[in-house]
Amino acid sequence: MSKRKQIAIYGKGGIGKSTTTSNLSAALSDIGYSVMQVGCDPKNDSTNSLRGGKPIPTVMDTLRSGSNDFEKVIHEGYNGILCVEAGGPEPGVGCAGRGIIAAIELLDNNGIIDDYDPDIVIYDVLGDVVCGGFAIPIRQGLAEQIYTVTSSDYMAIYAVNNLFKGILKYSGSGGGLLGGIIGNSIKSLAEKEMIEDFSHKTDSEVIQYVPRSPTVTKCELEGKTTIEGDPDSEQAEVYRELARKVINNQKKFIPKPFDADDLNNWGSTWVSRILLHQKTSSQGIQDDGSGV
Amino acid sequence: MSYNDNGEVKNKNNPKEDFSSHELGKDHVEAPKYSCALGGAYGTALGVYGLVPLLHAGLGCGLGQLFGQLYAGGQNAGGPVGGTSTATTGLVEEHVIFGGEDKLRKLINASNEVYEGDGFVVISGCIPALIGDDVDAVIREYQNDIPIFHINAPGFNGNSYEGYELFFEALIDQILTPLPTKKGVVNILGVVPYQHIFWKGELLTIKKLLENIGLKPNIIFTEANGFEKLKNLPAAEYNIVLSTWNGHRTAKKLEEKFGIPSITFPSVPLGPKQTSHFLRTVGKKLDISPDKVENFIKEEERRSYRFIEYSGDALLIVRPHSYFAVVADSNTAIAINKFLVNEMGYLPDIIQLTDNPPEEYREEIIKALSEDLTSTIKPEVVFEVDSHLAREKLKDRPFQFLFASSIEANSAPELGALHVTVAFPSYNRIVLTDSYAGYDGGLRLIEDYISTFAGPL
Repeated sequence: MSKRKQIAIYGKGGIGKSTTTSNLSAALSDIGYSVMQVGCDPKNDSTNSLRGGKPIPTVMDTLRSGSNDFEKVIHEGYNGILCVEAGGPEPGVGCAGRGIIAAIELLDNNGIIDDYDPDIVIYDVLGDVVCGGFAIPIRQGLAEQIYTVTSSDYMAIYAVNNLFKGILKYSGSGGGLLGGIIGNSIKSLAEKEMIEDFSHKTDSEVIQYVPRSPTVTKCELEGKTTIEGDPDSEQAEVYRELARKVINNQKKFIPKPFDADDLNNWGSTWVSRILLHQKTSSQGIQDDGSGV
Repeated sequence: MSYNDNGEVKNKNNPKEDFSSHELGKDHVEAPKYSCALGGAYGTALGVYGLVPLLHAGLGCGLGQLFGQLYAGGQNAGGPVGGTSTATTGLVEEHVIFGGEDKLRKLINASNEVYEGDGFVVISGCIPALIGDDVDAVIREYQNDIPIFHINAPGFNGNSYEGYELFFEALIDQILTPLPTKKGVVNILGVVPYQHIFWKGELLTIKKLLENIGLKPNIIFTEANGFEKLKNLPAAEYNIVLSTWNGHRTAKKLEEKFGIPSITFPSVPLGPKQTSHFLRTVGKKLDISPDKVENFIKEEERRSYRFIEYSGDALLIVRPHSYFAVVADSNTAIAINKFLVNEMGYLPDIIQLTDNPPEEYREEIIKALSEDLTSTIKPEVVFEVDSHLAREKLKDRPFQFLFASSIEANSAPELGALHVTVAFPSYNRIVLTDSYAGYDGGLRLIEDYISTFAGPL
């Protein structure tokens, strides 16, 4: 591969972002690419399922120890995937945003990524774009494409909308642009439609829907990705399909985020529709037509 | 860069075509004449002898204040616990990310071993405020063992004058407890150490003046047992506030918490008229025998007017009824303006105020500058924090004397004016005990400005 592909994956906390990212890394690696995954979250658990559930020393740990040997921060995981965790302070102290900035600067300035020369670098970034620190992978085009993981949960979409605002803000100054939305934990057609509609309204696109599956949880509890733990499952194939799409995806969107009020109105329409759907399916009633 | 008719900068990047420099949120200010909130709190702490300031701030903040607050405040060094002798956590990236609380604990432990002080004050700057260090919790760990309090003074919170108020607000909240009122004790507020460059001389003069009419003023600063003086604030009968706006928040808080009422003057009194008015007002409020006050006033006025006469020939023959301009903080400008107009027969041209007072005080300041003047000519009053714009506004005006900061000193010759440094920053004038306060203060001002044209042989 002549040019390295660098992407960043954002999404609300707990939405399955790290799970999706790790499975994407594992799938890309299976296809034959060399992959580096950089966890940008003070919890430093992005790459756990690539390393048998074991945490690794972080870039911030190295900085804290006063060492300049940043080679130590790269750890090989499943199938030779290069795992890095930015790390950060304990909850409630210090500035995690500055931690992310410092970690990425250290990786960049010390030529660490160049030394390993992976085909693909994936930044797995904490939740909402809460401050400038978490926008670092977007800014200055560090990641050429930004992906966002969301469920049909309104607050997850709200976080995506905020991310779109961040992308739009930096789009004029060489910042990374949107590669697409990854719909996660999809349980029904209505949920899919809701995310689809959001993407249309915001001039973006859904690259892949990942259905909700107990296989993922089972593998994760074993400290593995689905690709590693259950490679023949349907779910693993979904992730491999996502990997192929990401590799081939050249699209770069400048999204048009909703205003807060508009998003709220849009959301309430969809939430009632999904609630109705849940009600009708749980009561065994036909969810379309005039049967009610 | 281009300018509008008022000499204000037009900024092509600013959608608002013209903008006034005293508006909050202005794009830029050139050489404002104050430091930040941390600088003000730090300077105030250094004025309290026996109190040891510890800076919980970014690396370089302390040294920046040495140049920007202390040297600028009349070429004064920081003293035994100031300047390069001030201990600081010197926060760097590691502390930004992981928090600076542990570093602060180490600093307090070490300082407690090294310094011989009556008390400590931790002044927190921008970094702890931005990253959310729980400094108050750290301070609480020590409060049973050592006298210590905490001022949360991130620089971005405001300027040096704000830092002065933050100092006292923190002190009142954390250290002071009610005391029985002591007859005749008055707290002196409104003079900001280093920021008002004559603070030492002014406070000592006020102390002597009030002692002469039988009062026991607590001037806090420059006193040998400063930390005790701080703790005695609640014992006062009155607060005397010598500013249209500095010290007002402190006085209000002392009133709310300890029931101490305040007497307010627009400035430290300068020259016989202002000083006599000051003494009469205070004497009346505090039930001092009018005879005692009047006898003192009579003696002092006799002496000072007799002395002023010595300058009479130089004044009347060479520069009578001259126009003058002022570029200074409100306190200084008000005192000088009144003295020169009402006692020297001079004419006020333009007065530019550099201390950025809050909007709600500005009307009062304009009144103090333009009312009760014996001259029919009133000064043009401008609030201007930008030194470049202030200089532009001095062009093509009739004034012969310019009472300003050292920043204006170099512009004075091209403006055709004689310059006296009377305000912050004062890099070209070292101020130890000088001041224009009281009866002798009028004489001192005359000495200073007549000396600019007297001679050379």
